[in-house]
Amino acid sequence: MTQVVVSDFTFKYQHQETTVLNHINTTFASAAFNLLVGPSGSGKTTLLKFIAGLYPQFSHNAATGSILFDHLAIDSLSEQQRCQQVAMVFQNPNQQFAMDTVQNELVFVLENLQTPPAQINQQLNAALSFCDITDLKKRELNTLSGGEKQRVALACIVAMNPAVIVLDEPFASIDPTSRQILIKQLKELQLNQQKTIILADHDLSDYENIVDNVHQLDSTTGKIQRLTPKASQELFATFNQQQHDLPAVSLPDTTQQPIVTLNDVYVGHPKRQLLHQDHFNFYPGKTTLITGHNGIGKSTLFNAITKLIKYQGEISYQQQNIQKLRNLKYAQQVKLLFQDAENQFLEITVQEELALAKKHRNNAFYDDQTIQQILTQLNLANHLNQVVYSLSEGQKKKLQIMIMLIMAPPVLLLDEPLKGLDLQSIKVVVNLLQTAKEQLNQTQLLISHQLVGLAPLVDYHVNFADQHLSYEGVSA
Amino acid sequence: MNPGLKLLLTILIALEISFTTNLVVNLVLIGASLIYLLAKKIKWLSLLKLILVPFIPAFGLLVSQLFYGHGGPIYAWILFSRIYAYVFIGATFTITSDITELALTLEQNFHLPAKFAYGVLAAFNLIPKIQAEIKIIKTAGMMRGVPLHFWSPKLYFKAILAAISWSQNLAEAMTSHGFVEGQARTFYQPMSLTLKDWLSFGSILVLVQLLIIFAPTLP
Repeated sequence: MTQVVVSDFTFKYQHQETTVLNHINTTFASAAFNLLVGPSGSGKTTLLKFIAGLYPQFSHNAATGSILFDHLAIDSLSEQQRCQQVAMVFQNPNQQFAMDTVQNELVFVLENLQTPPAQINQQLNAALSFCDITDLKKRELNTLSGGEKQRVALACIVAMNPAVIVLDEPFASIDPTSRQILIKQLKELQLNQQKTIILADHDLSDYENIVDNVHQLDSTTGKIQRLTPKASQELFATFNQQQHDLPAVSLPDTTQQPIVTLNDVYVGHPKRQLLHQDHFNFYPGKTTLITGHNGIGKSTLFNAITKLIKYQGEISYQQQNIQKLRNLKYAQQVKLLFQDAENQFLEITVQEELALAKKHRNNAFYDDQTIQQILTQLNLANHLNQVVYSLSEGQKKKLQIMIMLIMAPPVLLLDEPLKGLDLQSIKVVVNLLQTAKEQLNQTQLLISHQLVGLAPLVDYHVNFADQHLSYEGVSA
Repeated sequence: MNPGLKLLLTILIALEISFTTNLVVNLVLIGASLIYLLAKKIKWLSLLKLILVPFIPAFGLLVSQLFYGHGGPIYAWILFSRIYAYVFIGATFTITSDITELALTLEQNFHLPAKFAYGVLAAFNLIPKIQAEIKIIKTAGMMRGVPLHFWSPKLYFKAILAAISWSQNLAEAMTSHGFVEGQARTFYQPMSLTLKDWLSFGSILVLVQLLIIFAPTLP
């Protein structure tokens, strides 16, 4: 039972011109499920980290105004008091843990809270069982899928038992089922244990009947607004309207020449088989969407196709075994849009990244004027001299997509390309991908949990389940 | 033996042989370490690696001393065997100790700051991640048309960037999971530093001193 009051709060990064959070005032109601929405780059992560008390300790920038937990300023609390008040689940599932195994991480958490050793086992098991992940107890964190990691992250929070739980787009790369499970568990924490939930998300599905309040951040003014019930309803309605399930696509014509072929391919961890496929074809000049549950191995499949990991069996590109192709030559043909945008960057500033992309592009389809146009459409035109690593996650993603489009490879694998993008940006990106496919005959393999706005692009749909890939749709 | 004490012992012995020019001492230490490793059921493959990996640098040192050095053949063999002594003594620690237990004992028994102990542990847990990251950086480079080799500054720039961002994220994750520097913590798995540990530590150290003093020097 703690309410969080943000009053007259202002924050600006030292090297950036715009103020991220501009004299914002809002109240996150006690024991309520508060949803924070706003386009990418609007400062949601920044605000949440301030609420969680992680800034300014980790970021030496000036902020003014105050954040109060029931009349207690977050920056006046001792660290121990702060831990009882608030804990946070982060956006990136790979960077939340200090220890090696699930059990050790939970032990670490409970030791930090000075839990008597005799009670640790019981509390640890209770947290795991609340989150329904008792079977993960002994697992190494490195071997868990993104969705499993987020469930462990929530278990850590449950063990800590803070009054306020802050979550920064915790579902950005996890499948719909895990997402629903986690939202349900958060709702239980709110209703049964009177936790105050503050959660940021772009994807508004599943929240309509769950959240109590919606707070909207505006990226142009840097202001926050608590929406009236009517305004929230409208927001959800607009979102639902745009949220089309994929229309039935047709099955591919299997007589055409495939571009990427899997033959008796076996991919997996020593203890866990992910994919075991006798024969599978991907077809050229089309966009193939691959869907499947969280942790099923979709990213791992892309890692195999790009030779990032070892596998058994044969993967061929244009009827040639990719293991026999020279790495550099193959990398010019088949490129991966990494899920983590930073992996794609080699230079320092946005401008330099674009220049490098132009230098090594396969063709000059995108001239300077078009590039300038796209920059404006994606709201990146004012960031040309900015260091890429200081961009927001959404801006990084947009730049990354631009780079890969400029390079125009014959085959582009896209791993969650819409992650962290607002609806407007999604529209622009989908259009660009559509153009690349139509004009350059690009083959696109796509992994996305985010289906909003994607429908016009998708030609074929592959379902990944039970270690198998299979096309879904109606016969052409 | 307690892993912290074992680490201290291996460091002390390694330091001592750096200043000792005696072939017999090196051979005895290699032999004793080998027996210890065999008793601890070291895997044959690991043992083979321990022998093969240092061979090239050790052999290079041997040849350059034999042909160009002024210390004579015995001195060349001392340098050769010293490399193996380092490797085998080091292995008695690395092969038989659990890194989590080392971190726990450093914190609980040696009273090092918890931040240091968990930093060591986190760095160790990062090793597989670093290897995977290097592979990703190289592949990503090729996809941008820029092949990165082990001498490419960009490879190191990217690796260091990744390390900095990991350390920042790790610090935030630890803080968010209730870790506070300098604050008391409870211990789920108490580590002990017993009299027996100290006795084995002391007696091994004494034996090594006796060995160094009384071992015959070859002409």
